Amino acid sequence: MRLILSFIMLALLAACSQVQPWERGYLAKQEMAWDSDPLERALNDHIFFSKEASSGGNTAAGGGCGCN
Amino acid sequence: MMKRGFLTLGLGLMTSALVGLAHAVEEGDPAPDFSIPSIYADQPAIALADMPGKTVYVDFWASWCAPCLTSLPLYNDLYNKYRDQGLEVVAINVDNPIEDGLDFLLDTPLDFLIPSDPEGDMATQFNVIGMPSSYLIGPDGKVKLVHMGFRPTDMEMIEAAIVANLPD
Amino acid sequence: MKKPASRSLIALSTSALALPGIAEADAPPLTSSLSYKISNYQEDDLSREQVPFGELERYDIDVHQFQFVSPLGRDYALFIDANHENMSGASPWFSTAGSNGQPVINMSGASGIYDSRSEVSLGVRYYGARGNIGGAIGYSEENDYRAKYVSMSGSRNFNNDLTTLTVSLSHSDDSIFPSDAERFNRVRHENKQASSVAVSLSQVLNPVASFQTALSLTGQSGYLSDPYKLQDSRPDGKTQIAFSNSLRYFFIKADGALQSDYRYYRDDFGIRSHTLDLSWFQNVTRSFKIVPMLRYYSQSAADFYTNIDDFLKPLSESQSSDYRLSAFGAVSGGLSFVTDFGGWSATLTAERYVANEKYSAFTVAQPSPGLVQFTRLSLGVNYAF
Repeated sequence: MRLILSFIMLALLAACSQVQPWERGYLAKQEMAWDSDPLERALNDHIFFSKEASSGGNTAAGGGCGCN
Repeated sequence: MMKRGFLTLGLGLMTSALVGLAHAVEEGDPAPDFSIPSIYADQPAIALADMPGKTVYVDFWASWCAPCLTSLPLYNDLYNKYRDQGLEVVAINVDNPIEDGLDFLLDTPLDFLIPSDPEGDMATQFNVIGMPSSYLIGPDGKVKLVHMGFRPTDMEMIEAAIVANLPD
Repeated sequence: MKKPASRSLIALSTSALALPGIAEADAPPLTSSLSYKISNYQEDDLSREQVPFGELERYDIDVHQFQFVSPLGRDYALFIDANHENMSGASPWFSTAGSNGQPVINMSGASGIYDSRSEVSLGVRYYGARGNIGGAIGYSEENDYRAKYVSMSGSRNFNNDLTTLTVSLSHSDDSIFPSDAERFNRVRHENKQASSVAVSLSQVLNPVASFQTALSLTGQSGYLSDPYKLQDSRPDGKTQIAFSNSLRYFFIKADGALQSDYRYYRDDFGIRSHTLDLSWFQNVTRSFKIVPMLRYYSQSAADFYTNIDDFLKPLSESQSSDYRLSAFGAVSGGLSFVTDFGGWSATLTAERYVANEKYSAFTVAQPSPGLVQFTRLSLGVNYAF
């Protein structure tokens, strides 16, 4: 239920905000990307996957390794 | 409670859709008139009215838009190739702060006109829906081509459209 | 060649060429790029109190990562990834009660373990007017483990490209064939499969902020135990769910950006976890950034976790003394320096990770004596051409 509510909240925000295409300079910066350093992200996912029990995140997982 | 949420959502979506669809400049439309200051403080304002009978290529760009930065040197070559035949290129910079645009121009000198539109007034008038966006205006003042996005292979098509619309 | 202005066609052509407002988001990369990152991370040695006999040294791992990204025609991009890692050291083998009744670890192989892993993956993505879709296949090999995987994902932009919905799917097929299986009476050859689906929704909130929420569901089946542990028996199926929320916020005055990611995870081994990742990207000059990072992680124990192996318990009953299934907390901090010059960029990162049951946000009934601390150093370079 909480999930559904947060999705609705997000949809509401979507409807309200209007950021024009020419106003997206800050959003276009590399440090504002969801994945601003793909190799760093991949390395972290791999290391933490081998040291902790949790995995999974914003995208579907890749292959496994004998490390876990 | 829930119902009201959906109602708000619906209204919001409708409003945003309407805003999005409002008067986008399309091919065949008369070009919006403009008169805006140059990005260079020591240069005069740039107005469409000052270019009667010319073919004008209007491009909206920003220093944070990578495809824009790829396109500008290619437009510079195009401008130098056709300027004697009546082509004007007006590359409207929407950087805010303006300094970001000027910084790029320091490294990449461009020969055509570069007005500055930090508040997006012109971008609003053209209803730019993506960066970069460009508009080819014929000598008759009508929009001949609307082009959104930029990849280097687009140059062929843009050059052909310009050539087809040069003044007689 | 005069082009007649036909309205319907124009509408089509504008929409077909429209790039999302955030430039580059849905266009193939403009240039090709080659990235390489070398990392070393070293787990701290264990102490004599934790390990009364034998090896104290844990893993020392070198990782090499390569990535090549290139536009392919007007609308496609190609991704090639290759990784190689070398590891040496030892890992916990089994756990017993020490003289004072506290759990102690017995490490595997006095001579240590040497292993390497190689992985390649190949991906292609199509970028359209309102989104992108792509897939990848990958292969990973170790001397005792092999994984083959496929993944697919598609994104679509809505609401003047301010909202993006992404769906991704993946499947992995893994084989396990432990070394020295006969000598140590280990399993000879086992398989496991994992499938996952993830849905994420991102929203631009204002000119300096965007938010993403994602839900991922993963199912694993097959041999999920650790073949190298003396007494390790886990269920042959596991369902995992992860709920993630990410925020990106740019502070204009400070000329810096905050990246904040939070994940809640749970699975039917009984593990729940919280992960909070915070990074601050400080622009120092136009081409130099300093990025401090802080991460907090905590998990609860698996239902069948024990910190002292019970060798009398039949293997049909689940049990494991793997420290990764114990309740603990971990804090890590890091610092990166990022610099760009021409088509080049370089990143230097140092990170320290400390796991401790004292940091746990969950009840720790049985603390593990084998929690890990490690130090990592990475150097990455990227060249765009």
